[in-house]
Amino acid sequence: MNKAGIENYGAYIPITRLPLSVISGKAPKEGDPEKAVAWSDEDCVTMAVSAGMNCLRGIDSSRIDMVILATTTLAFSEKQGASIVAKALDLTGDVKTIDVSGSLRSGMLAIQQGIDAVKAGSARKVLVLASDCRMGAPKSGIESSVGDGAAALLIGSDNVIAELTATASQANEMMDIWRRQGDQFVHTWEDRFINDHGYIENTIAAITTLYSKTGTTAKDFTKACLYATDARNLGSVMKGVGLKTEQMQDALFGKVGNTGAAFAPMLLVAALENAKAGDTLLVASYGDGADAQIFSVKDQLKNKSDRRAIKFHLPRRRTVDNYNKYLNARDLTVTEYPAADDQGISATVQYRNRDENLSLQGHICGNCGTHQYPKGRVCVRCGSKDEWANYTYANHSTGRVLTYTFDAFYPSPEPPTVATIVEVVLADGKAGPRMHMQFADASARDMKTNLPVEFVFRRIHRAGRRPNYYWKCIPMQTITTGGAA
Amino acid sequence: MSKSINNQGYGLKDKVAIVGVGRCKFGENWNRSEEDMIVDATYLAYQDAGIEDPRKQIDAIYCGSLYSKNGPVEVSESLKLYKPITMVLNYCATGTEAFRAGCMAIAAGVYETVLVVGYDKPKDRGVSGPSVNIRDVRNLPATPAGWFAVCAQPYFEKFGASREHLAKIAVKNHHNGTLAPESFLKKEITVEEALNGRMISWPFGLYDCAAQSDGCAVAVITRADKAKNFRSDPVYVKAVASGSAADPNTDPDFDFLRWKATENAAAEAYKMAGIKNPGKEIHVAQVHDCFTLTELLTYEDLGFIPKGSAKEYIDSGYFELTGELPVNTDGGLKTFGHPTGASGVRMIVENVLQLQGRADKRTPTKVRPAIALSHNIGGFPTGCAVAILGIER
Repeated sequence: MNKAGIENYGAYIPITRLPLSVISGKAPKEGDPEKAVAWSDEDCVTMAVSAGMNCLRGIDSSRIDMVILATTTLAFSEKQGASIVAKALDLTGDVKTIDVSGSLRSGMLAIQQGIDAVKAGSARKVLVLASDCRMGAPKSGIESSVGDGAAALLIGSDNVIAELTATASQANEMMDIWRRQGDQFVHTWEDRFINDHGYIENTIAAITTLYSKTGTTAKDFTKACLYATDARNLGSVMKGVGLKTEQMQDALFGKVGNTGAAFAPMLLVAALENAKAGDTLLVASYGDGADAQIFSVKDQLKNKSDRRAIKFHLPRRRTVDNYNKYLNARDLTVTEYPAADDQGISATVQYRNRDENLSLQGHICGNCGTHQYPKGRVCVRCGSKDEWANYTYANHSTGRVLTYTFDAFYPSPEPPTVATIVEVVLADGKAGPRMHMQFADASARDMKTNLPVEFVFRRIHRAGRRPNYYWKCIPMQTITTGGAA
Repeated sequence: MSKSINNQGYGLKDKVAIVGVGRCKFGENWNRSEEDMIVDATYLAYQDAGIEDPRKQIDAIYCGSLYSKNGPVEVSESLKLYKPITMVLNYCATGTEAFRAGCMAIAAGVYETVLVVGYDKPKDRGVSGPSVNIRDVRNLPATPAGWFAVCAQPYFEKFGASREHLAKIAVKNHHNGTLAPESFLKKEITVEEALNGRMISWPFGLYDCAAQSDGCAVAVITRADKAKNFRSDPVYVKAVASGSAADPNTDPDFDFLRWKATENAAAEAYKMAGIKNPGKEIHVAQVHDCFTLTELLTYEDLGFIPKGSAKEYIDSGYFELTGELPVNTDGGLKTFGHPTGASGVRMIVENVLQLQGRADKRTPTKVRPAIALSHNIGGFPTGCAVAILGIER
């Protein structure tokens, strides 16, 4: 059997944060508890792509042959999400794409499945993406506790930074937390009942089984990354399995919130950010049963320093100052004309344009070297025909803003829409093609000509009441606190 | 650039004349259909040309409309005039392109007298302003204001112009529009009002944008050598040219300081008309002011003034009715609105009135126009048409 484990990691937290005080109609103060919210152009697919791009920075992705997306918030009941994510990450060809869904444990289960696949020799390298953006009903308790985010883990047998050494599971069946087909919001049964007999009892059981299987006790773990419904119940599990406060990985309550299927994977990533060789990490996740895992941190962890994960995204934030903006962004308001069903975008055209739209692929003229996007048969500069080589910009290039406008007419929950023309800056610093693109995660006052930008995959509109994905640009420099959404 | 195949001069110069013009009242014509507007404008043009029996005197129809519901049948059925009919489309240059096609048909000797009808009725669509175009996943956002605004910041940074210069263009055109009987908006505005208008797409506030309106404009054109059979003061076509350019959103060599399509169309038009110094030889002009910045760039792109100098000329009142080169003497798209197919022909109507000394209160005070230019640009913008007319052959 092959050795297998985590080769690299990334994470993504939406820049937009909703202070809990804003939910209750109060003016937000700096330092208030808040949650991370996917904005109007984000969903579990776009967050997974961002986490995936972060994980694959500077990494040869050509050997990845399996992509697993774990989420409970796909826009489609029948249509894969992993296929979209793989296309956006330019992972094509003999790649097996898999969605794991239906359970809040699906993130950690996908990681286990990826590791099992590599161990069994049925995959070379697996990219696991866990991403969720669940919603509680407006003003409900759940709304305050859930948050949005994503984690990405590259699984393989080379340069392993953390090895999975043991797992244990505890099966359970009860109606504690659920969403029926078509439900927008999470439902729960009575709080004390579901926590006592669901989350707490089963998580403790899985961890206890793991202790006895491996002959370990709480003091053997450097850090514990435990899924939790909220901070109070996390404390009950901590005590129940003998862990001490200083061993607990910060669960990001009041900062990000419970990110569902992505929660435990994000905590694992956060622990890896501070880990050193020889550390032992305990991970547990819950959702219709519980799983617990032990990861052993390896020396290779220190070989890479430019990772983007929790530490990178946590300080990049802008706060929502008005609850209605959140409702608009999440499509929770009534509109005069709801989007027409199945109208607007031709799936045939979308198919023909899939390389350009999803992979941000253009091409380079074999005769004169001009980059052209969107693709065309004839070169705009030299006029030669059909002498092209494909070139994918999204994951390998940055850009600079040539010009811009603030379009107040374009429908948006947060007008004006900042529209730019961006010139792609290739890895060698040369100019690529020019693209007409929306500017995301920032407002008019952040804009200037020559601003360096990078590309992000977003849901550009919902024509036909389907998520339609395309690329936008965001400023490359840090946008720190103080910005209002 | 194309070359003439005969020996009678380059292109269209002095081969075709305008002998009758008409334009209906432009505006939110809630109670007027396409048919009403087409009939109003066409019968004004018939009257202007002294045409009493169009079924005998008109040989063909060239029409243009961007929002047409049913195509050229809207013109033939409105007029009950069943002649060879062609509908032309080139975005906002559609009206001038219909005129160009008619001129070419006459110059080619195919027809003697042609009716040119430009019209549009966007106000039946139930939306205020242009619709947002969702053609595909990419190509967004897509409002005309957004497309035409992309030259603003680079131009402002390079040449120091500002929103105030744009506002002065809006103030000028609003003033001129009060003097045109058929204009939509008849309201004087101040620079301050223009600057404080609701923002549409920066730097364009409400007053920087042309309104959407309904309208129709018509020209009767004929062979230059037969023109005096219709009226004693025909206006001669010196040039009609079309230019296109790469999509400014993707053109790898674009500098965002001009619209190349205008430069290309102007070069062809000036060559055809034999114009060497447009700033001196053109006496009055109607240019495409879909947005104030479009008019500003057009002063320079047409070679009226050097690139980058517009702000000084705007400040000095150079393009006002009292200035050296009056532009948009009837208030332009700003006050007529922009029924897309109509606009180019509406400008030709205004230039004919200017050249024939029939512009009434819109008569320039410093110049007596003998050569007039009109200009449309549209697409992203990617297409432009320019017409140059003269009172002498």
